[in-house]
Amino acid sequence: MENVTFIESENLLTNEITEHAIIDRGNGEFTSMPKSEYDRRQAEQSTPIVINEAKTK
Amino acid sequence: MATSPNYGWLEPDNTDLVKNGALSIRTLGNAIDTTMATMTPKSTYTAKGSIAAATAASTPANLSVGNNGETLVADSSTSTGLSYQANWAAGKNKIINGDYRINQRGFSSVTANDTYTFDRWRTLSGGTVTYAFTPQTFTPGTAPVAGYEGSTFLQCAISAATSSYIGISQRIEDVRTFANQSIVVSFWAKAASGTPSVDVVVNQDFGSGGSGSVNTIGTKQAISTSWTRYSFKITVPSISGKTIGTSSFTNVYLLFSDAIIGSGVGDQTGTFQIWGFQAEAGSVATAFQTATGTLQGELSACQRYYQRFTNIGTGDYNQNGIAYSGTKALIPLKLTTSMRSAVTAIDYSSLRLFDYVNAALLITNLIINTATSDSSVVCVEATVASGLTQYRTYVILGNTLPSYLGLSAEL
Repeated sequence: MENVTFIESENLLTNEITEHAIIDRGNGEFTSMPKSEYDRRQAEQSTPIVINEAKTK
Repeated sequence: MATSPNYGWLEPDNTDLVKNGALSIRTLGNAIDTTMATMTPKSTYTAKGSIAAATAASTPANLSVGNNGETLVADSSTSTGLSYQANWAAGKNKIINGDYRINQRGFSSVTANDTYTFDRWRTLSGGTVTYAFTPQTFTPGTAPVAGYEGSTFLQCAISAATSSYIGISQRIEDVRTFANQSIVVSFWAKAASGTPSVDVVVNQDFGSGGSGSVNTIGTKQAISTSWTRYSFKITVPSISGKTIGTSSFTNVYLLFSDAIIGSGVGDQTGTFQIWGFQAEAGSVATAFQTATGTLQGELSACQRYYQRFTNIGTGDYNQNGIAYSGTKALIPLKLTTSMRSAVTAIDYSSLRLFDYVNAALLITNLIINTATSDSSVVCVEATVASGLTQYRTYVILGNTLPSYLGLSAEL
């Protein structure tokens, strides 16, 4: 069972705050990425494949 | 005396006497005979594709055409000094890890969509489905192609599929790849039973901010229960008039079940086995070769997109940084090779920070420090519950296995 949490990280050089997603795979394994990348992947998952009408064989 | 226009054979003049005709005819005939003796007889060409070679001076011989995709090379061991041989050139195959030898993630079973299996190969599924992709090992000597001893193949076992699609895909960097070209996608496949169909789809994805993606669907083919090579000819559309965004790619899908995308394969269950995947420009499948042609080259090609650091024990990863507070440390990583882009995600398991004096501290969070990372430099920020000493150097240390740190710049 995956569990996603979001944390903030401050850039020590610019003091800019970046939000990150941390995905707990439930087996001791984790994946982390900037929230912008997480959102992009979520959007891609919702439209995983294009079904176009033009078909060339 | 007159002569023929091409070979200069002697011919009688128009005004010569008829009584000399026999001699003129014999002279002309002998000249023709002499010329014809120097020519290759039509019977040399025995079939479509035959060419004339020579077994010795003035000794023509037929050379039969080779197999599809073979090239003609000099070969002194044959009677004609020529032979057709398979084209093993590296670089023609745009698929990386087509022989499934590289498995940095150590994948053992994948049952979910959009998940990496062997390096560069990700699953693709939708609808009501139950399946498992697993790595399988060839018994030595049983790989399907002579001259290339495969070690590992990919298996997809589908137990349920309703209004579904299930496949495996590889995203080839840059949508310009294969644009406006005829290509051949080939692989060896076998089914556990029956004669299920498979199909190949080429998806042109123009990246973030680019034009909408375009699918080109091949013609489905039924596969048998013995290892057989199948090839799909596909004309990839031009990208003229399209807008190319960032991180574009040409995606090659192999579908094992499909009632959604339009291949005509339909919902299918069963077990499919695949090996030796190749995508190349041209009209025939040439001999299989990996993208780079070498083991190290193939590993490096994979590591452009994903590289994993691991440790067989609980030793250090030779990656060290400095604590900047009691709970956080910044660690610049030494990359194996430059990556496609700045790292977009990291995966990790069971890691600690260690100063070689005090007890190692379990890393609870590990994130990319985006401000100091690009395609050749990656810096991660590690968080522990407490106990770091500010400005002290720490190394990443393994904990209980599996312990790893993976960096992804996958498309």
